[in-house]
Amino acid sequence: MTSGTTVRPGAQTPGRAGSYELRKHSPLYRRRTRAAWGFALPFVLLFAAFTVGPVLMSLVMAVTDLRSRDLRNPLAVEFVGLDNFVAVLQDPLFRKAAANTAYFVLVGVPLALAISLAIAVLMNSGITRFRTIFRVGYYMPVVTSIVAVAVVWRFLLHPDLGMVNQALGWVGIEGPNWLESTTWAMPAMIAMAVWRSIGTLIIIFLAGLQGVPTSLHEAAALDGAGAWQRFRHVTLPTMRPTILFGAVITGIGYVQFFEEPFVMTQGGPLNSTLSVAFHTYNQFGFGNYGYAAAMSYVLFVAVVVLALVQFRLLGERDTPRKPRRTLRPVASKEIGR
Amino acid sequence: MNRTLRGGTAALAVATLVLAGCGRDSGGGDEAPEPAAEVAEGAASGSIEVWAMGTEGEKLGDFAQAFVAENPDVDLQVTPVPWDAAHDKIATAIAAGETPDVSMIGTTWMGEFAATGALDPTPDLIDTGSFFEGAWGTTEVGGTNYGVPWYVETRVLYYRTDLVPEPPTDWDGLTAMAQQAKSSGAAYGINLQPGETGAWQTFMPFAWQAGAQLTNEDGTEFTIDSPEFVEALTYYQSFFTDGLAPTDLPQGTLEQDFVAGKIASFVSGPWHVGILEETENADMSKVALAPLPSGAEQASFIGGANLAVFKDAENRDAAWKFVEWLTRPEIQVQWYETVTDLPSVASAWEDPAIADDQYLGVFGEQLDSAVAPPSIPTWEEVASVIDTELERLTKAGADPQEVSTAIQQQASSIGTGL
Amino acid sequence: MSTTTGRASRPPAEPAPPETEPPESRRTKERPIGEARPNLVVYLILGLGLVVVVSPFVWMAFSSVKTEGEIRRVPPTWWPETFTLENFQELFQRLDFPQYFFNSTLVAVVVTVGNLVFCSMLGYVLAKADFAGKNLLFRIVLGTLMIPGMVTLIPLFVLIANMGLVNTYWGLFLPFLAAPFGVFLMRQFFLAIPDELIDAARVDGASESRIFVQIVIPLAKPALATLGIITFLGSWNNFLWPLVVATSEDKYTLPVVLALYSTGQNQINYGLLLAGAVVVVVPVLVVFFFLQRFFVQGVALTGIK
Repeated sequence: MTSGTTVRPGAQTPGRAGSYELRKHSPLYRRRTRAAWGFALPFVLLFAAFTVGPVLMSLVMAVTDLRSRDLRNPLAVEFVGLDNFVAVLQDPLFRKAAANTAYFVLVGVPLALAISLAIAVLMNSGITRFRTIFRVGYYMPVVTSIVAVAVVWRFLLHPDLGMVNQALGWVGIEGPNWLESTTWAMPAMIAMAVWRSIGTLIIIFLAGLQGVPTSLHEAAALDGAGAWQRFRHVTLPTMRPTILFGAVITGIGYVQFFEEPFVMTQGGPLNSTLSVAFHTYNQFGFGNYGYAAAMSYVLFVAVVVLALVQFRLLGERDTPRKPRRTLRPVASKEIGR
Repeated sequence: MNRTLRGGTAALAVATLVLAGCGRDSGGGDEAPEPAAEVAEGAASGSIEVWAMGTEGEKLGDFAQAFVAENPDVDLQVTPVPWDAAHDKIATAIAAGETPDVSMIGTTWMGEFAATGALDPTPDLIDTGSFFEGAWGTTEVGGTNYGVPWYVETRVLYYRTDLVPEPPTDWDGLTAMAQQAKSSGAAYGINLQPGETGAWQTFMPFAWQAGAQLTNEDGTEFTIDSPEFVEALTYYQSFFTDGLAPTDLPQGTLEQDFVAGKIASFVSGPWHVGILEETENADMSKVALAPLPSGAEQASFIGGANLAVFKDAENRDAAWKFVEWLTRPEIQVQWYETVTDLPSVASAWEDPAIADDQYLGVFGEQLDSAVAPPSIPTWEEVASVIDTELERLTKAGADPQEVSTAIQQQASSIGTGL
Repeated sequence: MSTTTGRASRPPAEPAPPETEPPESRRTKERPIGEARPNLVVYLILGLGLVVVVSPFVWMAFSSVKTEGEIRRVPPTWWPETFTLENFQELFQRLDFPQYFFNSTLVAVVVTVGNLVFCSMLGYVLAKADFAGKNLLFRIVLGTLMIPGMVTLIPLFVLIANMGLVNTYWGLFLPFLAAPFGVFLMRQFFLAIPDELIDAARVDGASESRIFVQIVIPLAKPALATLGIITFLGSWNNFLWPLVVATSEDKYTLPVVLALYSTGQNQINYGLLLAGAVVVVVPVLVVFFFLQRFFVQGVALTGIK
């Protein structure tokens, strides 16, 4: 969020920018901390019980050889340390799945973000008619049953009858048998996933666009800035936290992609669309809980790395090194509730 | 960053401490068969909680009113469970000790759930000799039988009478049939699943026909890699390399292509009769069924579902009485009439309702020689290895011997789990 | 809070005086200046895209009134050749609809309200307050968001079972009342709200809770609508958890029951499946239609000063 407020007009008094830093042990800081934790408490309690607890238990699972046969007596398992993790990294099928997943994420995430941002901006660009129709319409893929999606997409991608190959035929290209080709099945999965995920991203971006002050657009327009320049210098900077959110959420979803190959290809042909999440799902199904949990945490590390990259690229540095938030002098009187 | 790391280390340390007190008590493996307890005489009473999947779950409650009428003190609760996540539901229920008294269990899950120790061994109350041999085999895990076969299904050959004058009886016949159908205009002589989930169910009959055995006698070691298994792989592959069977049929087009005469035959189970009848322009007079051709022996795959009583059942005796009631021949016939599930009890097939059906006779005949996959805890995982390797065989032209070795090697590293 | 860096680096003097803002932005609420006329090209692009995104939905809706054979046809038909309500009739005949509709609605509404309240509270302080433990808390919340859900299914169920909540409504919604997703979303949106508004209220002597309820929440309507839609949909469609927790049919939710009818061990009944998909999607569309109205501009800069 470096420049989010940079462009915001008015309301800011000079001198505030250089205000002093809140000392860590001041009574005010402590009061603030108490007030803030008051706000956080309801969430934190539920979160600790129903999310953190099970997560810790699953971490324990990952360092044991827990299998389905131990379900009735889960304490009677052996502690195996990092053996599961070593086995995961040596599993050739996992490596194959990891490469597939990386391909999927690296192509799919930027594509989904770019397309949905473009559509959201267009929908917010001042059109007055059919706004509701567009909003509802573009959300449809999100609420369409995956089975219906699969049937229609399978038809679209049909080698002879499908519309995709017919369209390619018009320009003289003979389309492949998409879902049965080790080369083209993955691009088909990516297209389908992007198609399915833009609905959610569009509403997130639409909501974010409401925070972009119109006055800035006006000022920029008066200065002679074109639409693209205003998008780059006004919309994008203000939207940064939202875009970051969209990127991280999409990244998390895509690293765990599963449904598309599950309904379309079962990971085939020849494992070319097998994803890590699919492989993990299978391992859970086989009852190899310890191994599957370890695989889940390898996946987790991948998501964290991806998120760190995104936090870095999109401006918000989530590291303790960043300067502490400054306190404005005016706030000191009122903070304690 | 540092703080988070330290937190993580602390959590790990706690976990290690907790685990220090754990460990398996025995190596498992060659335990003696588990003895089954007696079931008390007399009418059943008390509440019986039953889980059953899909249509069975939906219809069983009403159907079983006859049982309640015979045993008025019984309060029967049937909870239908969707197939989609039934496996997860049973697994989590076992983990939390929240199992019902009775549950329907897919035949290929038996090994896994029996190994958890959650299932109660079958008591003498059940007439074990009344079932098809292959079906009864699905209940045996490590020398002990758990539960009973409830209904069965098996795979046969569906063919078009206008393209296939005479159903084949042996392997050479099947190849000849496919070739002839192709030369008389069909795009493919036969459809055999080339890979992906469940392909093993189409392939394994050929391996059993060749005489292959997947495990040794007590199910502790895999004996997959054998000349017989390679022979079956070679035979299976020949349909694809000769262009007699499709490798890249788009999903969901089999029935239409069959009805249109583009595919002359395929291998599937009893549900396909209904699907074909619902397919548009289907002329059922041109559709006929035949048992699979035999190799060195006759064999097919047997599937279906079993009924098992849980060890944690609150009302074990009544649960077994209910299970016994469901396996009586006359009840099996009535159940077939309710949901068209094929009876697992051989004598039920003599009833005219079943014996006179034009399609069912073939399934009945096939059931006599149908084989169940080994009921070992790791079977589903081994089966998925076979699926993946079959795809390599059919689509990538992998060498049958090499595929056989690869399956053996992966299966061995998975282990039988017994 | 990195906002500081930006603020510090920019020149303090800013031309537009705040007083002139409200009328101006109200006038251009729907159409920012410079976008002289709603562009035909924009309509064309959005219109073409619309066809691409809605066609499977349309196929789903049309196919729910087709016969099983027609649904299975390749190539598929769009307009039903033989119109039949059989699928819906069979569905409603087999389905105790009011009961499952009630269960699904109860769970989805409770989960949605819980997330709106709890996540916005935490999201607010994570974005706009400075306190001990903030960064760690945010990182833990964000971290758990990244853990695949499958891995916690069994531990979570064992926990719920030990609490005696199997087959209860509490067991159905309690684990989802406070989801990390909502916190992250609300935090990111709150980051974009000008600090000045909050500070101004503090100067006026408003308490933190008052600021939150009267200033921050109204500003966050688009964000709350977004969170509401996403959470409602997620809960409404949730399949595995209700199936695992509910051990008697009267606690099942709609997706669980619909899966029961349409999917067999070896076959799928497409007619029932698509009819069920249509039935289950209607309430989601109603909620979406209602909430999308909150995606309107202008609140942030016209409402409060």
